[in-house]
Amino acid sequence: MSDAPQDRNPMRAKPGSRGVFAGGPLQRLPAALKLSAALVIIVGTVLLPVDWIGCLAGEGLALMLAAVVSRIPFLILIRRLAMLLPFVFGVALAGMLNPGGGLDWRIIAAKSTLCLLTVILLSHTTPLGEVIRVLQRLRVPGLLVTTMALMHRYLFVLADEAGHMRRARASRTFTRGRRFAWSALATVLSRLFIRASERAERIYDAMCARGWK
Amino acid sequence: MNPAVEVTSLGYCYPDGTEALCGVSFSLMPGACVGLLGPNGSGKSTLLRHLNGLLPEKPPADGNVRIHGEAITAENLPSIRRRVGLLFQNPDDQLFCPTVEEDVAFGPRQLGLSEAAVAARVQTVLVQVGLAGQDRRATHHLSQGEKRRACLAGVLACEASILALDEPTSDLDPRGRREFKALLRQIDATKVIATHDLELVVELCARSIVLDHGRVVADGATLELLGNEELMLAHGLERPHILQHVHPHHPHEAH
Repeated sequence: MSDAPQDRNPMRAKPGSRGVFAGGPLQRLPAALKLSAALVIIVGTVLLPVDWIGCLAGEGLALMLAAVVSRIPFLILIRRLAMLLPFVFGVALAGMLNPGGGLDWRIIAAKSTLCLLTVILLSHTTPLGEVIRVLQRLRVPGLLVTTMALMHRYLFVLADEAGHMRRARASRTFTRGRRFAWSALATVLSRLFIRASERAERIYDAMCARGWK
Repeated sequence: MNPAVEVTSLGYCYPDGTEALCGVSFSLMPGACVGLLGPNGSGKSTLLRHLNGLLPEKPPADGNVRIHGEAITAENLPSIRRRVGLLFQNPDDQLFCPTVEEDVAFGPRQLGLSEAAVAARVQTVLVQVGLAGQDRRATHHLSQGEKRRACLAGVLACEASILALDEPTSDLDPRGRREFKALLRQIDATKVIATHDLELVVELCARSIVLDHGRVVADGATLELLGNEELMLAHGLERPHILQHVHPHHPHEAH
């Protein structure tokens, strides 16, 4: 009974830790400590007076240094940040349009970026399973913890499904028309939504079948 | 002795109007192993979901399904689900926890066992299904065969006396199928196996039930049913090749 596929990706720290990079000192710290530190950094960044720009720059440098020490490839860090930039700009725009007087959008963008960088660092040095266990110990509401665990479990399944559908679509795409590409993408996304919803029902059934109340 | 499973005139219509089951009746004695056969869409999965009380959405007052003589009602649903373990067709639907250990422990924790008892039970069933030492592995990193065994471990951890297995070997390679069959043979429980794997049915099930369009069209000895080519072809099945090598009175010597 040895048909186990060995996980040959050396970047993965251990099973159950998809996206976590192995080998750095941050990875060896207890999850509870890292989670607390991340919370302190995020709250501290938010509360930092807007004219303490030097502090923000120092914090940014410290976070980048932590990323280097944790052996997280710079490119991946930038890519993750780029994925989240729309949220940063959204928050900055909301600050600019604040009816109580426009805030400096650059400070808001910088603070949001630092907070996101902290979260990215945490997620790439700590398996989510450990974070979830810490949250359970801290008596965070069970529904929230279960939702997080299920999201973590099925995000990859859905990503795989999206990949399968994208490949299936590509294999039968014979035109380069942009309009067609957008409509095909919309079809894939709508199918993915329906599949996710149907899967959610089956997962709920599987939970009920094993006594979920 | 009460039958382990007793189904009487069971019918079910999905909300979109599809009639999935119509007048299904059969009973199984404790320890029986029965193959549930039929073409796609014949109602096999729907029937299995009724055994575990997942369907109908609200258990009826008259109770068409009885487990050990007890009709399924809203009140006894938790106890029914503990006794009837359901193995889903797609392991990714069933393995919803991040690690093997947490997934197998899900059922026992729902039963309110202490953490020490849960851990002991998890280790016991992981050894039983051949996944000893794999408890910390992520469920999404398991091979298909391991996923199947982890699903089975999760069901066995609830100490179910009846197993309802929905296409348990459908996506396994020949070695995975062979190992899973050997595993099922060792498990001492009443088993209902919905499958298209006719070799598995010949090897494990003395009795088979053929469903088509939600109705029971045949119920009898596996070798007799599967040997009836006309019946098989009429209901989207076929006479398995393995029957050519099976002695009618010694089916378990088939290989």
